[in-house]
Amino acid sequence: MAMISDSITNASATAAPSARDFGKKKRTNRSAKLKQSKLGLRREQWLSQVAMINKGDKEEVDSNRKTGSEKPNQRIPPAENLDGQRREEEDNSGTHRHESFIESLSNSPNSILSGMNSIPNFSCSSSSGSGGSCSGNITEEEDADDDDCLDDWEAIADALAADDDKHEKENPPEPCEEHESVKHSASPRDSISGSGVAIRDAKPDCSRTTSRKQKSNQAWRPDDKLRPQGLPNLEKQRSFPVMNMHFSSVAVPSSCPICYEDLDLTDSNFLPCPCGFRLCLFCHKTICDGDGRCPGCRKPYERNTIKVEASFQGGGLTIIRLARSSSMFCRYGYRICLLAPENYVLCSSMSMTLLRLKHVVVVVMVYVEWCVST
Amino acid sequence: MQPSRARLFKEYKEVQREKVADPDIQLVCDDTNIFKWTALIKGPSETPYEGGVFQLAFAVPEPYPLQPPQVRFLTKIFHPNVHFKTGEICLDILKNAWSPAWTLQSVCRAIIALMAHPEPDSPLNCDSGNLLRSGDVRGFNSMARMYTRLAAMPKKG
Repeated sequence: MAMISDSITNASATAAPSARDFGKKKRTNRSAKLKQSKLGLRREQWLSQVAMINKGDKEEVDSNRKTGSEKPNQRIPPAENLDGQRREEEDNSGTHRHESFIESLSNSPNSILSGMNSIPNFSCSSSSGSGGSCSGNITEEEDADDDDCLDDWEAIADALAADDDKHEKENPPEPCEEHESVKHSASPRDSISGSGVAIRDAKPDCSRTTSRKQKSNQAWRPDDKLRPQGLPNLEKQRSFPVMNMHFSSVAVPSSCPICYEDLDLTDSNFLPCPCGFRLCLFCHKTICDGDGRCPGCRKPYERNTIKVEASFQGGGLTIIRLARSSSMFCRYGYRICLLAPENYVLCSSMSMTLLRLKHVVVVVMVYVEWCVST
Repeated sequence: MQPSRARLFKEYKEVQREKVADPDIQLVCDDTNIFKWTALIKGPSETPYEGGVFQLAFAVPEPYPLQPPQVRFLTKIFHPNVHFKTGEICLDILKNAWSPAWTLQSVCRAIIALMAHPEPDSPLNCDSGNLLRSGDVRGFNSMARMYTRLAAMPKKG
């Protein structure tokens, strides 16, 4: 779209110079175009997307036009002529635009040179009209913004940030496009005055709105459409305390889920499996004599659990200290087991990240205590 | 007292207490033998078994809950994972995926779930499985509904 106007301007600039004085800006624009032409390869790729993302394209063109009216640093073509053409184009797809551009090229003899000049430019603007390029340009800024927001998150769920960053990098374009569409709906089509702004100019603007929006309200409501997909969803966040409960003494069931006998103090501090399933020592032994799988997660109990226990008991002073409070011994003994690398593999899902990190902290603390006691 | 017996008594108490909680399952213990149970389950809605009441027989082994109970349908049912003649059920949690944390009540729930979501790839009833595997859902549904009418619904008149 923008290029059509460019070519028309090129053609008509010599024949009927515009009343408005934009000569200087024209030159700067041209140098910008040269820069743009260097991106030729990427454009080629984007070009192929143009046809597919026609809708997004349109929206972008609109936002681009708005930008034009805000800061008309581009040459403004003869209004009536161009407007007529644009109206016509508005309903057409991107490919049609290409055709009409070529037509206009061949129709005006003057434009051959300038047309040559603007061929790379043409591909540039039309390609940058595609959603792909927009997202490409914006990615970094967008990411930075999201990171800002995530800082708050990090205070709450430090561990999640790493995973989320990954997610953001995987799907950054969505938020941007959403912002654009919002902006588009905000600005009525009619109010936009015609200007052949290179669509490239729309991009920083788009990202600016994005950042403005994000700065004004740092948090998103869970149902907010603008909420970046990279942010962890709230259900997951809420699920953390529940998951943590398995490891705190609060959630210890009053009776063993296997034999339904009441758990005594030793039993309730006994945590044989990283999944958090608790049972009494008696049932645990019976199960270990059999197939040895945890009833909660059906994964086999780790044998090194017992090994660590044994090594503890053989640890000189340690036994005496720990044996006095056997419940503590059980808990710490088994928590130290969590250092075993297999357990990290078990906790590989994203929702378990916080849990996993907490474990590391817990384990380290316990380890220090153990060293002091020896 | 054996642990299995103790556990079954506890489960019995639990069932008495939670009778109202799950109206689709009615679990009763044999009057003389705590290792024999029967259950009545309602066919899940939006399946060809809707409206039917199916009877299950539980035979609890001595090492329960370390070993799963043996469950079979007493009511005839046309289902890919239920043997048409013996009522044997092909369900992983009743075999290798059993966990001692399951109860008779949760087994009933699992069987209701199996009725709603048959697994035609491991069939005990080949006719039924073949109908589903060949994509003849309509044929399967009408067969299953017919047997539900015949065997699992009270006779009219």
